[in-house]
Amino acid sequence: MNKVQTCCIIDDDPIFVYGTKRIIKEVDFATSILVYSNGQEALDGLTKLCMAREPLPEVIFLDLNMPILNGWEFLDEFKNCKSKRSKKIIIYIISSSVDPRDLERVKNYEQVDTYILKPITPNDLAKILGTITEN
Amino acid sequence: MKTLAVDFLLKESPNAIAIVDTKLNFISHSNQWQEKFSLDKTDIINKNLFDSIIETPSLFKIAVNEGVKGKEHINLGQKFTLPDGKLQWLKWKIIPSTIQDHGFDGAIIFLDDITAVQKELELLHKAEEVARIGCWELDLISNTVNWTKTTKDIHEVEPDFIPSLEEGINFYKEGVYRDKISYLVSNAIAEGKPFDTELIIVTAKKNEVWVRAKGEVEILNGKAVRLIGTFQDIDEKKKIELAHEEISERLKITTQTAQIGTWHYDLVENELEWDNEMYRIFDIDKNQFSKALEAWSSTIDPNDKERILAATNDAIKGLKDFDEEYSINLKNGSTRFIKGISKTIRDINGQPIKMTGANWDITELRSTEFELDRSTKLFTETFEHSAVGMALVSPELQWLKANKSLTHSLGYSEEELLKMSSMDITHPDDLPRSNSYKKKVVNDGNENLQFQKRYFHKNGNIVHAIIGSTPVKDLNGKVSHIITQFLDITDRIEAQKKLEALVDVTKSQNESLTNFAHIVSHNLRSHSSNMTMLTKFLNKEEDEDERKNINRMITSATESLSETIAHLNDVVQVKTGALEKLQSISILNTVNQITRSINGLLEEQNTKLKIDVPKSHFVHAVPAYLESIFLNVLTNALKYRSTQRTPDIEIKSKIIGEDILISFADNGQGIDLNRHGNTIFGMYKTFHKHKDAKGIGLFITKNQVESMSGTISIESKVDEGTTIFIKLKRS
Repeated sequence: MNKVQTCCIIDDDPIFVYGTKRIIKEVDFATSILVYSNGQEALDGLTKLCMAREPLPEVIFLDLNMPILNGWEFLDEFKNCKSKRSKKIIIYIISSSVDPRDLERVKNYEQVDTYILKPITPNDLAKILGTITEN
Repeated sequence: MKTLAVDFLLKESPNAIAIVDTKLNFISHSNQWQEKFSLDKTDIINKNLFDSIIETPSLFKIAVNEGVKGKEHINLGQKFTLPDGKLQWLKWKIIPSTIQDHGFDGAIIFLDDITAVQKELELLHKAEEVARIGCWELDLISNTVNWTKTTKDIHEVEPDFIPSLEEGINFYKEGVYRDKISYLVSNAIAEGKPFDTELIIVTAKKNEVWVRAKGEVEILNGKAVRLIGTFQDIDEKKKIELAHEEISERLKITTQTAQIGTWHYDLVENELEWDNEMYRIFDIDKNQFSKALEAWSSTIDPNDKERILAATNDAIKGLKDFDEEYSINLKNGSTRFIKGISKTIRDINGQPIKMTGANWDITELRSTEFELDRSTKLFTETFEHSAVGMALVSPELQWLKANKSLTHSLGYSEEELLKMSSMDITHPDDLPRSNSYKKKVVNDGNENLQFQKRYFHKNGNIVHAIIGSTPVKDLNGKVSHIITQFLDITDRIEAQKKLEALVDVTKSQNESLTNFAHIVSHNLRSHSSNMTMLTKFLNKEEDEDERKNINRMITSATESLSETIAHLNDVVQVKTGALEKLQSISILNTVNQITRSINGLLEEQNTKLKIDVPKSHFVHAVPAYLESIFLNVLTNALKYRSTQRTPDIEIKSKIIGEDILISFADNGQGIDLNRHGNTIFGMYKTFHKHKDAKGIGLFITKNQVESMSGTISIESKVDEGTTIFIKLKRS
């Protein structure tokens, strides 16, 4: 298998979501794509999937600046999730922030693999796919 | 036998002699006998001896009775007591006689009264005993030694002890003493030289005793035949003498070591006597010293001379002992300071006859005194005029002396300070540290400790000072007082505080600027990256519908970008130079103005509005900002109203010190502050699913409040409502 089954995008910017979806298709990154427009929506949606024992996404692309529940808050909540399945999910932070404090803060979250600066490119996705299929 | 000649001789004999027959009747007697021993001055021939004899001891009677029976008897001296209690010595010799020997049977009796001689002898012995002077005799012919009783007593030997010459010599202590007496005795024998010496003997009881032995030589035909002499116990006297000698020697050493010169002045002979130290102190050659008073007085400095000579005269007259300090001029021209004291000695009639005294060099002491005097003056001067506060305090921290600078710093006069302890005006928070500092200085004697503490100025203000203390010890090593330096750093501390406050402001401003820069960068980047991405798609996209879609999105991104830039512009506007535009504005007027302008919105929602703002409440504010703030807060209250309730808004104001606190309370959706508390006033933070939520309003509001030196805070409960508090400077 050389592509991701389900990929999840959490971002409030419709243009970014459009672009990312397009690139995912372009590089044939994932079979299906889940989109949530903020942290709270994502948390609710993922919990629902979990309870229903439906498949969870393998990869999450997470924005930091979002209304209601931002990226950090989502990560804090997600850490508390007791489901073993959730632990397997690899999270990528995708943000416009070049604030060094944000880059430093990411290190506190084990489940976050990399911090990717917007805009996301086909190259970024190809690299991610490479590491995932390798493992 | 009875011849005339013999009879005559007998009669005229100078001795008392009696010739008796066996019945003790006188045959014949000398005139001396009748004169001295017979009570009967008539003819006593043929009368019994004992009929007319004076009182005699019974021993004599026995001797006489035995004598006529043929037994010779000699007594060289018999002491006995007469009935009247007087003592008498008799000496006798009784020679028996028979017809065959001398032509008669009986005895010849010699009797002699030796009372006078014996008494003298006894007296002599007594005198010997009392004076502890014994006699000794060395007969060089018979080579015998004879000691009197006292001599034996001194040697502590038994009364019957008879020494040989060698034994006598061996009583002298081995070593120099024995060697000396051996030499003297042999010299006396050989050369006929008398001697007189003081030596130590070791008595029979092993006691060491000082004795004086004198010896004279008897010469016969140019040859020594006898040594006689006295032997005296001088132990006590000698020991006193030796002790005196030792003390004198010790005194000499002491005065020498202490460099004290001593002198005697014989007022009768007018003669001055100095010891070696005196010559040294006065730098005068011993051999050129004239012994006149002038020899001393000529050295005295002219300035002191009159005073010193007057004091000397008083001392000579015995009016007052000399006790003066004066300077003398030495040969080499230098000056020396002398301290001199004297005692005047008087004879039994109270006439002053001698003076004795001591002098010593106090030049060094004097210069030390001068030095001390000068440094005291210097210290006093420094103390008084020092720019630094200075004080003397007791070990109990009572002020003892304070200089001008200190009284200026503390606001109390010196007089007021002296009634207080340093602790009385110490800041209470600094008392424990002050106490431990005091211990270190007073008990441990730390000399270079500095300590920063706070005092209260008389006017109640805090005075900051750095204290430096030097403990001063008395001769017993106890701290007598402490010299304290007091560096007033109040101005410095105040400046530092202002600086720190300024740094804090700058720091927070810098922080907020950094945040702002990142916000700006983030917002601009998100739009620009979208545009980059979309442009790339557009280049590749062939499908016309999709191209239109992308174009639409690019337009939207561009619009968002310019909107963001407009927001940023607003924020920057707020951040720059608000303080200069501050005016005194009525809160109530502004509130009324705003509520009027959104009256339509309020009525649309049937809003209940309660305004509780006194007319008198004015704040320092920029009018446009205050309007903008009120508008934003009120529209938020409406925007995030509860769907369950009609809006209920209450606006209040109250005075808090220099500030006025304005509050806007609503009964809207509320916000989870546990979650969003720290980001509530952040840029582009939105917390509600509201179509108009942009996350810019409260951010700008906060910046506007802060640019007017105010603060903004929030209290809220989800589904109950929110209260916004705005604090501004009162005017």
